[in-house]
Amino acid sequence: MTPELLAIHRRTFLRDQGLALGAAALGLLGARPAPAAPGRDPLPGLPHHPPRARAVIFVCLAGGPSHLESFDHKPTLAARDGEPMPESITAGQPIAQLQGQKLVCLGPRARFRRYGACGAELSDHFPRLGAQADRLAIVRSLVTEQINHDPAHTFMNCGTALSGRPSMGAWVTYGLGSAADDLPGFVVLTSRLGRNPQPIAARQWHSGFLPGACQGVEFATAGPPVHYAASPPGVGTGHQADVVRTVQALDRIAAGTGADPEIATRIAQYELAFRMQTAVPALADLADESPETLALYGAEPGRATIGTNCLMARRLVERGVRFVQLYHSDWDHHDRIDAYMAEICPPTDRAVAALVADLARRGLLDETLVVVGGEFGRTPMAQANKGPVGRDHHVKGFSMVLAGGGIRGGVTHGATDDFGYRAVTDVVHVRDLHATMLWLLGIDHARFSVPHEGLDTRLTGVVPATPVVSLFG
Amino acid sequence: MTDRYRGTVVTLVLALAAPAAAAGSPDYSATVRPILARSCFPCHGPDGEARQAGLRLDDVAAARRVLASGAVAIVPGDAGASALVTRIEASDPDLVMPPPAGPHPLSAAERQMLRAWVEAGAPAAEPWALVGPVRPGLPAGGPGWIDRALEARFTAAGLGAAPPADPVTLVRRVHLDLTGIPPSPAEVAAYLSDGRPDRWERLVDRLLASPRHAERMATWWLDQVRYADTVGYHGDQDQRAAPYRDWVIKAFLDDLPFDRFTILQLAGDLAEPGPGEHPDDRDLASCYNRLLQTSHEGGVQAREYRAIYQADRVRNLSVVWMAATIGCAQCHDHKFDPFTAHDFYALAAFFADVDDEAHFKDGSNDLPTRRRPERRVVPPFARDEAAAIDGRLAILDRRLPALVLPPWAAPEVAEADETVALRIERERLAARRAALEEGVMVTRALAEPRAVRILPRGNWLDDSGTPVAPAVPARHGRLDPAGRAGRLELARWLVTPVAAGGQGEMTARVIANRVWAICFGTGLCRSPGDFGAQGQPPDHPEILDGVALELLDGGWSLRRLLRTILTSRAYRRSSEPSAAQLAADPDNRLLARQGRWRLPAEHVRDTLLAVSGLLEERLGGETSRPYQPAGHYRLLNFPQREYHADGDWRQWRRGVYVHWQRTFLHPQLAAFDAPSREECTVARPRSNTPRAALVLLNDPSFVEAARRLAEEVLRHGGPTDPERIGWLWRRVLSRPPLPAEVELLAGLVARRREEYRADVPAAAALVAVGESPRDEALPPGEHAAWTAAARVVLNLHETTSRQ
Repeated sequence: MTPELLAIHRRTFLRDQGLALGAAALGLLGARPAPAAPGRDPLPGLPHHPPRARAVIFVCLAGGPSHLESFDHKPTLAARDGEPMPESITAGQPIAQLQGQKLVCLGPRARFRRYGACGAELSDHFPRLGAQADRLAIVRSLVTEQINHDPAHTFMNCGTALSGRPSMGAWVTYGLGSAADDLPGFVVLTSRLGRNPQPIAARQWHSGFLPGACQGVEFATAGPPVHYAASPPGVGTGHQADVVRTVQALDRIAAGTGADPEIATRIAQYELAFRMQTAVPALADLADESPETLALYGAEPGRATIGTNCLMARRLVERGVRFVQLYHSDWDHHDRIDAYMAEICPPTDRAVAALVADLARRGLLDETLVVVGGEFGRTPMAQANKGPVGRDHHVKGFSMVLAGGGIRGGVTHGATDDFGYRAVTDVVHVRDLHATMLWLLGIDHARFSVPHEGLDTRLTGVVPATPVVSLFG
Repeated sequence: MTDRYRGTVVTLVLALAAPAAAAGSPDYSATVRPILARSCFPCHGPDGEARQAGLRLDDVAAARRVLASGAVAIVPGDAGASALVTRIEASDPDLVMPPPAGPHPLSAAERQMLRAWVEAGAPAAEPWALVGPVRPGLPAGGPGWIDRALEARFTAAGLGAAPPADPVTLVRRVHLDLTGIPPSPAEVAAYLSDGRPDRWERLVDRLLASPRHAERMATWWLDQVRYADTVGYHGDQDQRAAPYRDWVIKAFLDDLPFDRFTILQLAGDLAEPGPGEHPDDRDLASCYNRLLQTSHEGGVQAREYRAIYQADRVRNLSVVWMAATIGCAQCHDHKFDPFTAHDFYALAAFFADVDDEAHFKDGSNDLPTRRRPERRVVPPFARDEAAAIDGRLAILDRRLPALVLPPWAAPEVAEADETVALRIERERLAARRAALEEGVMVTRALAEPRAVRILPRGNWLDDSGTPVAPAVPARHGRLDPAGRAGRLELARWLVTPVAAGGQGEMTARVIANRVWAICFGTGLCRSPGDFGAQGQPPDHPEILDGVALELLDGGWSLRRLLRTILTSRAYRRSSEPSAAQLAADPDNRLLARQGRWRLPAEHVRDTLLAVSGLLEERLGGETSRPYQPAGHYRLLNFPQREYHADGDWRQWRRGVYVHWQRTFLHPQLAAFDAPSREECTVARPRSNTPRAALVLLNDPSFVEAARRLAEEVLRHGGPTDPERIGWLWRRVLSRPPLPAEVELLAGLVARRREEYRADVPAAAALVAVGESPRDEALPPGEHAAWTAAARVVLNLHETTSRQ
């Protein structure tokens, strides 16, 4: 980078000029408190209270992993295996692919054992995560409202199934900004096994009606990491710097008239864009990680695996990124649940356990909230119409795992009924999960709203939501 | 705020509130009601279920009655007896309203305002959006009425008008606003040398009649009706909608009156043919009802998705045509506006006959997927060619012998050479004719409309709610058709004047506000999708009413309305604010000057392709697939998607034709705030992000544009660097460069020339970007150095700004 480029420090520059980013956009949307630089600076008045977590890593096991083979041990369901599911439980409940079919109990397909001083129960698919049990909070009483993948993801991410609403990463980045000066504040990483995974829409990391700077940026672990972050062919770094510097110098002449505050913003954004071009390749290059670390995660440089992505997530929060969302697809086990779980769980177990352990040994776990789980769970009923047995989508009770960022370790929270069907004890709705995450980040969800189409819109919506305080350490 | 400015701001507030204010009382609609709506309506508003103490403040007459507690909220003229005033002024935290923990406490000034209003007799008015526009009490109508109204306001606020914009800025502005493409240097020169007194009106008329303008207006409309090329949910498969897009463009090209435009889209399948309309137009337009997001995921529950689809249609109809957030009443009565859940489901019932059932049974992963009912049509801009072919085919059929030989019969007699030629021609034409036809989703009415019930709390599993028949929102009026009211009656109601039982003036106000935004950057009401209590009252209600009536009285011609606005002095003012304007009116609400803003995403693309000479202009037809980063669709499935960028003329089409993938919009469009079109968009945000900078710098479409622009410079820009820079400036920015600008860019050219002299392969790599042919006679080093210069100019703030 040239000295001239370095010389313009964005924040100083903006403060000196007394300018606001995206002023025109805000004018359109009406009177609204705005951060000086959306996605960079915090909103005035935030955080509401001292935060426990500085960053979030949300590992989405997309497709809906079975809670009954992972974190919710149901010995009584095993005793019912093969029996009809009592109609009193299922009557009038939403159902997906099992519509019109006979509903039969399917006992757990995995053994569970106890781990750590806390004695938390995890299935044999997750031994490495089990070894971290005293750092984990297992929530067994999640409920959601959407039974098909696409709307269920939207509900999990945006708190509503309506399109066009901001995702939680966008909300958090809007509210708190980001400490990363040369990377986006909200980054999305994806991986899959390669069978036939459910699609994931960019809606899941959209900024909705919040400023575009708060939108999640997809980061590819294989190939060019970020769209358009590489200079054109035949254009070296010095050349690109020259182009950017000349654009800025010419824009500064136009800014001289003072007529258009957006020009100053634009000059600053070209600066940031150029720095991103340098920072992104450095971030993506795993050469500075030790072989031990790569092995811990099961990371394979250049391959978009859950291991590589979990390691990348750590590198991102290390660099000040506020919100990292991983999608690991292929958890939609309508059939062959035994074979598919045996295939997908080991690398996932290794990577997520490594993430928790690695963050801890680097002193980052205390300030980084890790959340692991899918958009819904799976039925206690068998799905047998597609070959070897599997389970259908299920919304009335499922599990998630949280760690770090103010979460108390060694906790198992809530419970489903004997069938693993319905969350009955200490029920945690998706909006309670959102309220919990926001609280840990220093935000009172009820006071964090933006006027949109006639409503003070919140991530947690209009129905009351409560942070799950018993999870807090 | 410094004291120096405080006085000015107070003046401004008064100036904004001035027109309807009775002496002595704060204006109810402009100031009092918005405060009550924000801080009080959630518990004392239209939603009966949430209402506390039986008090509703959205109905001032009701608020004057004695409550069960014995208190009276509002006693006109007696603040001390009014519980509203005593409670907001209470010091006891248990008594004070709104409750201290709430999100919207009242400021001291607001409390004072409410007290003053009660003391002045609590004059109230219907919510402004429910009151039809009144003929402005301005020196009514006649040329210049907009300017007279605006000038009176900002003069009263102590502001002077900005001077007229210089002619070059003006020509550029009107080209960008009306067509999305800047003027060519020749167009600028022609205007400057035009000595006729009506040169401005002539320019405006020429642009309004241009195909480019029709394409520009289509973007405006397609955002509102959420037009896209894919279904939106889950597999996000392609759908057949492009002929509808072309119909919209054709409608703007013909200046189809907006009332007919409305009727054809909502109820084309039910409407009688109109004079001069093509027989296919009603079906094409009716694709509107099918544009919503749909899911073709296995395991979707029909009942659930019927509920999702009907809600989607209510949201779109009510925001597009009514600027009302009736979608909020899906689960409960509206919290702020007079809409009940019954209103919501009664509106949904209008769409209960739209045949949407097939995809629950034959949802497929095909590309495009099946979305019956569909039909094949010749899209509007292919009609001439189809007609010509049909004519020629008729002639050929007459001339060719009727006899068709069975394939096994060897021709006994060789046909004359001429006949063979005719047969070949016939075959070729028949193939071309068949290729002109495209599938499009259409609306077909079910014989038996689906039953619509109120879904308690929006829950589709609960069918205990009351069945409802189609009806317009109760506070907006009634439809009295002989039988069941349908989409046709709804559409007519929207565009029929109030005096004849419709909503025409209100609809016109909604649409005129968005037309105004094309010319000034924002509407006269700054919440163009919400004219309700949570929206913003219009800054200039009388002008908003005036333009609404112009639209209505002008036969619903959008073109005529645009002409009225564009020929105002206000439109032609400079956008450079004076210090006084900036201090007193930073958001330009008084419109003493013009505005500045970044171009919409499609126009950024159009502008860069146009100035570089790459733009391929053909009206309508095939969708464009520009270069796109590899793997952009990698998360799509059912089926897996492979993206093939166009290698022919379609690569360089205007943004309005770019393939609109709802879940993964093209990154260039997304970076410049084009919406996904999953939902209605009536005003795009205008962000200013590093992502947009990266796109302008590195997107191959724009690198190719720079490379092509450099070729043009080298061919036409003259022999010296300064001349070439001057040529670049006039071509891209419509103006000559300043000496400092020449110096900066010349420096860059010299440095890059040096670089590429030493590194010829790098130069060759840069000038090879893009599929368009390169003039191989140009030396790569020089070409690459000027490509760098062109990249700089294409990245300037001014290039993608409207000033």
